[in-house]
Amino acid sequence: MRPPVPTLRGSKPMLSRSMSARTDSLHGASLAAPTDGLTLRPPIRIPAAVWLLLPACALLVLGMLVPVGQVLWMSLNPPEPGVMTPGTALTLKNYSRFFASDFYVGVLFKTLWLSALATLITAVLGMLLALSVWRASPRWRGLMIVAILAPLLVSIVARTYGWIVVLGDKGALNTLLVGAGLLAEPVKIMYTPAAVLIGLVHVFLPFMVLSLLGSLDRIDPSLGEAANSLGASRLATFRHVLLPLTVPGLASGSIIVFSLSMSSYVTPALMGGSRSGVLTTFIYQQFSVTMNWQFGASLVAILLGATLLVLCAMLSWANWSTRHWSAAK
Amino acid sequence: MNALLHRIGQAVTALLYVFLLAPLVFVVLVSFNGGPVPSFPPTDLSLHWYLAALRSENFMNGLVTSAWLALAATLVAAPVGVCAAFGIARGRWRGRAALEAFFLSPLIVPGIVIGIAVLVALAAIDFGNAPVRLLIGHTLIVLPYTVRTVLASLARMDPALEEAGAVFGASRAQVLFHITLPQLKGSILAGAILSFILSFDDVSVSLFLSSAQTSTLPIAIMSYMQYNFDPSIAAISAMLIVATLAGALMVERFFGLKRILGS
Repeated sequence: MRPPVPTLRGSKPMLSRSMSARTDSLHGASLAAPTDGLTLRPPIRIPAAVWLLLPACALLVLGMLVPVGQVLWMSLNPPEPGVMTPGTALTLKNYSRFFASDFYVGVLFKTLWLSALATLITAVLGMLLALSVWRASPRWRGLMIVAILAPLLVSIVARTYGWIVVLGDKGALNTLLVGAGLLAEPVKIMYTPAAVLIGLVHVFLPFMVLSLLGSLDRIDPSLGEAANSLGASRLATFRHVLLPLTVPGLASGSIIVFSLSMSSYVTPALMGGSRSGVLTTFIYQQFSVTMNWQFGASLVAILLGATLLVLCAMLSWANWSTRHWSAAK
Repeated sequence: MNALLHRIGQAVTALLYVFLLAPLVFVVLVSFNGGPVPSFPPTDLSLHWYLAALRSENFMNGLVTSAWLALAATLVAAPVGVCAAFGIARGRWRGRAALEAFFLSPLIVPGIVIGIAVLVALAAIDFGNAPVRLLIGHTLIVLPYTVRTVLASLARMDPALEEAGAVFGASRAQVLFHITLPQLKGSILAGAILSFILSFDDVSVSLFLSSAQTSTLPIAIMSYMQYNFDPSIAAISAMLIVATLAGALMVERFFGLKRILGS
């Protein structure tokens, strides 16, 4: 990258006065266009860059940043079912209602536990899948990647319906197992927390594989061969060579899967029974059924806060383990 | 011991591929079932439920809404995203990385939070037009994909081509329209197809932004699914699966699925 060239105001005759005044006030000299006549690659002058970035910035600030702020503000308003506008009175009532109730705290812990379990299972299974793709010959690789990634694009509603077909009391799995004589009678999987867990793992496994492959693809395959030829077993090679090198991928995959699990609504709503409510199902209830938006907003804040806390813990663990491994070498 | 472990690992991996694809395969299998319940194995083969799904006003209204919505969100996000990617890739100032992260941030903010935020913000100004509400939410969630694909392409582009054009006297507009944009065609198209698919399939944002009159297809299927189990859901889902896979194959051809979805 070329270092920023300080701009001389007088050296931009092509800019209209109002334009240069506008950008100077926005970015000062740090957003400078190269002024040397030797630059052949069409450089984008300051106003052009601002105009290019403005629509996306406006969309994100007005469509997401400010609205999320409004939701967080609303969580501090006194609960008034039916009132949909942020008020001026501030209170912690919504939060005290949440944390004083064993029921809601239980829901929070159930959500955290389910997401953590989904992340752990996804990490183990994702590693197996990612290694299989990494070791595959180029001919198979493309096909394997499509098989892993295609489910990611199929509507989550269709995928969840698929699981209902497979796991239902009279579903494919029970029919096959009972038919083969492996089971005396159908097992109940659908509408239990186990079903939610299966659904979450299925939906988010591709994200973990992608992120692990990102790390694995940077490893020189000859590293594994070297370890093998020096007498390390497959397991030892994995444990001491591959695993330490995939920690960044494992960390980013776990972060994605955990936060997506925490905020997933469709899978718990459709695959869990009436009693396996998680935070998101209660958020939906507050916003669409009870119409207590202030309490709902506090649930959103708690969901975001709890997710962030866990993610910070995961990140510091990843940092620690990377340093730990490199210190051990 | 080592060999046994290796065999077990291979078997588990094979089972994992079955696990990934099983629900999709079973939806398609069950959709050809003639009976009133989605039983397996199919008792008799029939296209009966496809007809039922295509005749369902609920599904068809949802399909039309989703198709228009996905098209509109794609058409809004594509130029905005292309411009933003150009602004980042060609600018030279300090906050570029932060701005890029900001443009990709809708990937990190949970869908239901985006949905609720848009709902709350528009309710605060007493704006209740569901189609516009949905369009704002969907544009937000597809924007990062356009930005990312175009940014990746711009980074890989050989600057010598543009320089050559400039040396031989092409104007800036000529360089842009005859040299730069043609090279970006593939990635813009891939980003657009992916945006369309993701908007079309979205549930978490639409969940809060749909209204009784304006409901997207996934929301219509989901609310139908809460009380009904008949294979018309399998039929409409099977059609969605086939259409999505066709789109995915197109993206794979134009750009490579792994690059566009991966970090």
